[in-house]
Amino acid sequence: MNEISVKLRVWRQASADAEGKLQDYKVENVVPDMSFLEMLDVLNEGLARRGEDVIAFDSDCREGICGCCSLTINGVPHGRGTGKTTCQLYMRDFADGETITVEPFRAKAFPVVKDLVVDRSAFDGIMAAGGYVSVNTGAAPDGNQIAIGKDIADKAFDAAACIGCGACVAACKNAAAFLFVGAKVTQLALLPQGHPERERRVIRMVDTMEEAGFGNCTNEAECEAVCPKEISTAHITKLNREYARALLKLS
Amino acid sequence: MGATGLSLIAFLIGHVSGNLLIFAGEHAFNAYGHALISNPMIYVAEAGLLLLFVSHFVTGIVLTKENRDARPIGYQRNDRAGGASRKSLASTTMILSGLVLLAFVPLHVNAFKFGAFYESAAEPGVRDLRRLVIETFSAPAYTAGYVIVLAIIGFHLWHGFGSAFESLGVGYSKALKRFGQALALIITVAFISIPLVIYLSEGAL
Ligand code: HEM
Ligand code: FES
Repeated sequence: MNEISVKLRVWRQASADAEGKLQDYKVENVVPDMSFLEMLDVLNEGLARRGEDVIAFDSDCREGICGCCSLTINGVPHGRGTGKTTCQLYMRDFADGETITVEPFRAKAFPVVKDLVVDRSAFDGIMAAGGYVSVNTGAAPDGNQIAIGKDIADKAFDAAACIGCGACVAACKNAAAFLFVGAKVTQLALLPQGHPERERRVIRMVDTMEEAGFGNCTNEAECEAVCPKEISTAHITKLNREYARALLKLS
Repeated sequence: MGATGLSLIAFLIGHVSGNLLIFAGEHAFNAYGHALISNPMIYVAEAGLLLLFVSHFVTGIVLTKENRDARPIGYQRNDRAGGASRKSLASTTMILSGLVLLAFVPLHVNAFKFGAFYESAAEPGVRDLRRLVIETFSAPAYTAGYVIVLAIIGFHLWHGFGSAFESLGVGYSKALKRFGQALALIITVAFISIPLVIYLSEGAL
């Protein structure tokens, strides 16, 4: 297979408080079947060999499951194309000699730690505020003890597919986290185990989301377009409905 | 946002329907205007409308500020994601189209509601609002300004109608979005027809 070369413009920022800027690199001998992250590995190996500071970026599973690989590539989180994370993006999608801009996920609630690494613990804060069920964990319950209809189970599973990567926030012009929170709230609102805490969960999660500095949804669905799990904005509408329902019930 | 926006759209539909009576002749239009302002409930309706309008634009401005603050450092390269995205020129300029309406509405109310009071020759005691409207839109600059602002209202509703149903938790569907865009177009064309026909017919409506 013919190797290609690409020109990268990568966001370099030494630390959270340092000024950052785009820096140019040229990467030669790129095999088109490399993933985008493998291409960055090749670049980093070269930098390390020359004794330069390697580019910091997050990755873990490299198979589209963990949601670590938070890069905005040519202005689109995880790069162009539907239903994939950065680790599932391949160099064959780029032309020989193409200039590729690589930036971190941008949001006030996701501060840059270094280079392309951002701190997404604001999502953990939202989960800690209500993204759980407080069940009495005695012995492991019988799996079929609570019967759940297939249609409900399927819908809950669609929501549960969210890996919490934050691409929805990164893509939204308002840096809103409605798709993430919508998926989490919907999943638990659909299942019987989630019902006892249904109202206070949505209120707490939405309040925590706002306090963390995420923006508001203006229904433009950029989030759905970049979601690696193709989670639909129907979950946002469901979130709005759940929130209104909770306000009515609690008042 | 959604509730106030949709209520304002409902008002606009009523407003444009009433305005179109101008094509039904002097009596029909002036009698309609007279019926409105001689009903004591008009004050309640006006207060309600003002409340809707103010709460809509105040929330709109506050939310836009929050949304901008949510990304202090922007992207150097910022492409549309494509695919499922419904981002459009209309959706990204809601604050601008909104601010144009905010500037327009006081001028508009001042021009007509608080404009020259002509008494109807045919029906003494009744305001000849139709004459004022026709006189106003005989000026080319005035007509052009109205056509532009009314097109901007249509632009605001192009995204706004469908968006409101999502904000209110009703849901998104392509059909609903298309319906909203058709409605935006109909409202805009209906509104624009009035100054345009008056101007083009040189007031001989
Ligand atoms: C004739 C008057 C107006 C009508 C019928 C109208 C209608 C609407 C509708 C239906 C929405 C969508 C609401 C939603 O998505 O939940 C909207 C959004 C918006 N409006 Fe208005 N509007 C009007 C005037 C204004 C004015 C004067 C402003 C002043 C700033 C404004 C600013 C906004 C903004 C910023 C949004 C975006 C918020 C969002 O998408 O959630 N609007 N409008
Ligand atoms: S590294 Fe785990 S999803 Fe990409």
